[in-house]
Amino acid sequence: MAIMKKTIKLVVNGETREIAVEVNQTLLEVLREDLGLTGTKKGCNQGECGACTVLLDGKPVSSCLVLAVKADCKSVMTIEGVAKNGHLDQIQETFNEKGAIQCGFCTPGMILTTKNLLDENPAPSTDEIKEAIAGNICRCTGYVQIIEAITALAKAKNAQGGA
Amino acid sequence: MRLPEFAYLAPEDLQEAINLIGKYKNQYAILAGGTDLMIKMKQRLRNAPYVISLDQIAPLKTIREEASRIIIGPMNTLDEIINSPIIKAKLPALRQAAWKVGSPLLRAVATIGGNICLNTRCRFYNQSDFWRLSREKCFKAGGHICHVANKMAVCYSGFVADTVPALIAYNAIITLAGAGGTRKLPLADFYTGDGRRPNQIQRGSNEILTEIEIPVPGDDEKTVYCKYRVRESIDFPVVGAAVTVKKDARQQCLDARIILIGVGSAPLEAKLARDKMVGRSLDADLIAEVAATAAAEIHPVKTDLVAPSYKRKIARVVVAEALRAAGEA
Repeated sequence: MAIMKKTIKLVVNGETREIAVEVNQTLLEVLREDLGLTGTKKGCNQGECGACTVLLDGKPVSSCLVLAVKADCKSVMTIEGVAKNGHLDQIQETFNEKGAIQCGFCTPGMILTTKNLLDENPAPSTDEIKEAIAGNICRCTGYVQIIEAITALAKAKNAQGGA
Repeated sequence: MRLPEFAYLAPEDLQEAINLIGKYKNQYAILAGGTDLMIKMKQRLRNAPYVISLDQIAPLKTIREEASRIIIGPMNTLDEIINSPIIKAKLPALRQAAWKVGSPLLRAVATIGGNICLNTRCRFYNQSDFWRLSREKCFKAGGHICHVANKMAVCYSGFVADTVPALIAYNAIITLAGAGGTRKLPLADFYTGDGRRPNQIQRGSNEILTEIEIPVPGDDEKTVYCKYRVRESIDFPVVGAAVTVKKDARQQCLDARIILIGVGSAPLEAKLARDKMVGRSLDADLIAEVAATAAAEIHPVKTDLVAPSYKRKIARVVVAEALRAAGEA
């Protein structure tokens, strides 16, 4: 059987792209191989580790389990879309400051999951933070600094909002 | 590992989907959320020339209440189940169960229909192609041996879909549609108990799950789902238990249901344990007795990473926890 191709429209980090994809390509493969966005990591490739997390219509998903054709007409945010005009986002800065980063392999997914959490719930409890990052596995930090960083971000956000 | 080649079909209405499965009999895979199917295809456990996605069929995404029944479309994601005000108010145990499936990343995509149709799992079967090559094919993979209990011509793979015990405890009825028409059956009857082909669709009925229907539970009953897993963040259950307790005005049990998963190839109703409850008040002694009876009713085999003796102890703890919660006013 010849490989079936389909043209899809993806809004990647705010930019509309039309791409001809093979129907058996995952969103992860299209992002990394066709669009060169290698910030999204390929870890277990079976939906357990969260290294391939992207925001699909604002929600974190494992891009290794989503067929690219199923993302047609949807918006995708990858780690490349988080920094603006050459400046790191506050989430990235805080992860740096708190030492919530070691080898960095889980970091893109962790940052995107954090972004979605704080967008939906600006004042998460520690349990809610743990629940939100449950699908993002980190083998270096033991999660303590990551949870500290997210807590600090929420505090900073609320202080800004209150002022 | 990459996905094998296939043709992708996305019918826009149910009739078109039914026509497609009639046309490509047993050569297709139904794609709902894909969190299980994509892995199975990468591991070469499923190899279908046609993949039929149901996500363009709007009626499969309904959640509504009509005539004291709650109708749920199978294409609702688990997140949509968790966030539905109707389910939160009327079917709290289904919400609990959906919340305990996988991680948030999976629940954003995985569907309730996919969970209902989830294949049974085994530590020797759910592995990559390469990993499985080192041993002879097992029953479930189409071979002639079981690596878990190699003296019996039986596949023991375990049923681990979290939403199912809650749905059965709520007396859910499902609708299956195929070329031969539409039929309804109690969800419990959908499962065959055969580890190789654990439900009627996997047996080759060439049907699609189109609707889940649940009678609105009365005020005198309460259902709870409890689950124990190795990693609280993501894993399938070691044991899951849904318990329904119906009490009269004097706080005595009028009726009860105890449905267990992780303990066999189909959801298991602990009937001996249930029979001990009727007509008695649910105090600490009765909870201990019922939990011990339920733990004695199961026959776990080492299809996951825990020993059967451990699983029996865990079943006792999980059932007791669910009974306590269901017995509270």
